Amino acid sequence: MIHFERTKLANGLTVIVHQDKTTPMVALDVCYNVGSRDEHPDRTGFAHLFEHLMFGGSKHIPSYDEPLQKAGGDNNAFTSNDLTNYYLTLPKNNIETGFWLESDRMLELAFSKPSLEVQRNVVIEEFKQRYLNQPYGDVWPLLRQLAYKVHPYQWPTIGREISHIEQATMPQVKDFFFAHYAPDNAVLVVTGNVEFDQVLALAERWFSPILSRNVKPRNLPKEPEQTEIREQHVIREVPNDTIYLAYHMTDRLDPRYYATDLISDVLSNGNSSRMYQNLVQKEKLFTELDAYLSGDYEPGLFIVSGKPSNGISLETARKAIERELDRMKQEKVSEYELEKVKNKMEANIEYGEMNYLTKAMNLATNEILKDAGLINSQVDFYQSVTTEQIQEVSQYLFRPENCSILNYIAKK
Amino acid sequence: MLNRKIQPTVNPIEHIDRIQAEKRLLSNGIPVFFINAGSQDVVKIDFIFEAGTWFQSSNLIASLCNSMLEEGSRNFSAAEIAERFDFYGAYIQLMADQNYGFANVVSLGKHLPAILEVTEDMLKHSVFPEHELKVLIDKNKQKFLLENEKVRTLCQKKFTQVMFGEGHPYAITNKLEDFDQINREMLVQFYQEFYHSGNCRIIASGRIDESVLNLLESHFGGADWNRNILPVPDYFMSPAPQKYHRVEKLNGSQSAIRVGKMWVPKSHPDYISLSILVTILGGYFGSRLMANIREEKGYTYGIGSFVLSLKYASYLIISTEVGNGYVEPTQKEIGFEMKRLQTEPVSENELETLKSYLLGEFLRDFDGPFALAASFKAINDFDLDYSFYDRYLHTLRSITSEELMKLAQQYLNTEDCYTVVAGSVD
Repeated sequence: MIHFERTKLANGLTVIVHQDKTTPMVALDVCYNVGSRDEHPDRTGFAHLFEHLMFGGSKHIPSYDEPLQKAGGDNNAFTSNDLTNYYLTLPKNNIETGFWLESDRMLELAFSKPSLEVQRNVVIEEFKQRYLNQPYGDVWPLLRQLAYKVHPYQWPTIGREISHIEQATMPQVKDFFFAHYAPDNAVLVVTGNVEFDQVLALAERWFSPILSRNVKPRNLPKEPEQTEIREQHVIREVPNDTIYLAYHMTDRLDPRYYATDLISDVLSNGNSSRMYQNLVQKEKLFTELDAYLSGDYEPGLFIVSGKPSNGISLETARKAIERELDRMKQEKVSEYELEKVKNKMEANIEYGEMNYLTKAMNLATNEILKDAGLINSQVDFYQSVTTEQIQEVSQYLFRPENCSILNYIAKK
Repeated sequence: MLNRKIQPTVNPIEHIDRIQAEKRLLSNGIPVFFINAGSQDVVKIDFIFEAGTWFQSSNLIASLCNSMLEEGSRNFSAAEIAERFDFYGAYIQLMADQNYGFANVVSLGKHLPAILEVTEDMLKHSVFPEHELKVLIDKNKQKFLLENEKVRTLCQKKFTQVMFGEGHPYAITNKLEDFDQINREMLVQFYQEFYHSGNCRIIASGRIDESVLNLLESHFGGADWNRNILPVPDYFMSPAPQKYHRVEKLNGSQSAIRVGKMWVPKSHPDYISLSILVTILGGYFGSRLMANIREEKGYTYGIGSFVLSLKYASYLIISTEVGNGYVEPTQKEIGFEMKRLQTEPVSENELETLKSYLLGEFLRDFDGPFALAASFKAINDFDLDYSFYDRYLHTLRSITSEELMKLAQQYLNTEDCYTVVAGSVD
């Protein structure tokens, strides 16, 4: 259970505080409600490029990192399809430097030309390092493209292609900033060795002068229901064939989400899971086999990926996976199996509460989703899932017409 | 009026609360180092054996032996072991490095009795079933093939080979054929020789009370797994005569670069000052290499320098991946930044920034049970005690630009460095 207090400044900025006196540190997390789903289809990768530019100096502060380091701080950030999250940690007596830095870059960036030039290049190298120059690096972009025809989840956060990043211009950068970076489109979470009143006073001081920007609510096209199975074959220079099956699942707030998550655990979380025991250990059809959720806020993907053992065809591999998925549809899981995955979920939530920074990130991302309080109520949601629900959701998920298959074939 | 141009007052970090590990011996002599800290009912128990690649007679034995610990024991099949851990939401991380074999257990405190029961059987009575071994070898073969596609893996392997010579255990020389040479008997022999109480120490952190210590005594404190301790083998390094090496990997868009040299051990009087120097060079976001090669030139997504300290050798390593067209300019800039540390004193401002940053890092290193355990392990692995951290703090607070420049002149000569580039030639 994580106790927190929450308030909203007049300009729309939500402020959340969680006290943890076991640490001498504080964490400041500023999470903006903007991700790659908010990009124009011809300018993909922009939200992530923008994350890099947020470190290139703000209106009154030429360098972000140096003053933070002077205060003993450390920081990082990440961009997803749904949001962009910035976080820093500081010794508790230097907390104000965090407010100073984060409020100034929420107020306005420096929009420096050299920074744009360099960060474009850095992101292009990141594109190569993570995607182009890695075996299986293009799997995720291919799968998204196959599964989504309309919704912006069809491209990855790094962008659809390098040229989109190469062509980013300063006016576009400015537009993006003022359209999405605003107190009324963000959450500030402070955790660690702090007092609520102290945080509130600092937030008032540094953030309340920033004017609300009346950010428009997002209005994204809905992905139409998939009506027939989709299949793609690609040949790549990789050591092994691999198969990916992607099924459309619910959004993150749908009550069925919790059953969906537990289904992936029954199938593949840990060496005692069904797919590992049956298909990896007993039948030796795969050397690697996983089931996982894409983790998106809007309707996402339930993915099964597997590397067949030597001599096993992708066809045989797919049939074996479908056999396990069919079993989920035909029979209820045992009470024991369900208890096991629930226990594991509960333990993982407990492990996640050990660290003040993890707690800050979880509070922030849940607040962007809907409500920071979800991190406390989720335990009960998971606990209340029944074996019947697991079966029902499996029947809804694992329909052939709901599936996109990527056959990733090793060039011989 | 709010002045946004001026940084709020920065307060120096004066007090650093450092909880130290306490030591207790089990009846059979296994040292247990424990740190009772943290807010949650979580316990981490690391079993550390002198069973790294240093002790293996051929490639893969140490790591496969270690991985097989969860594949079946006298009283539990592989499936039952997995079932036990998963049911209680606990984890065991098995891993072997150059010197040690690890079995690190994380569990909720309330489930520790059930978890240690099975852990005891795994560590004392592993049975190495053939079927599971075959599955594991096939799995690792595929992983090996995948890793070998990556320029950073190819580069790191070659780098360790030229630094240590191929016969040395710190050189990574795994080949695909090695997987076919492994048999069950080799692993069983290694297990009997190196996984026993005389070769083990335990680091426990989290909510550790007497009941946890009693559990450790009852499961691991007996004489039933005492065996002879074998002498530690000696190896000699035979570094390559030429300093520059390439590894071909066609059709890639990036190349991996490693530049480095042998370094002083952790016990050396210059080690701490040098670790500060290496941080300036490439050990944090504001470092020279990051500022120049990423933030000014945009050649790479990331570049860093660090010291890899192993039990019997340490080396400095600068590592990055860059677009193929940036390989030469990057090498040039690395050399330039090393030279600059030898010829220009670090400015007052940069040194102050670095000191504050490292003090903040120091605070993080002693914050929370797992961080405390890691900081303890970092000295205990090298038979050092907590005075190492006293010296670290003292050095960090007092070191001057002149001292750093002298150290750079002594230790950062580019002509002493090996360079390995893996990727396509343009």
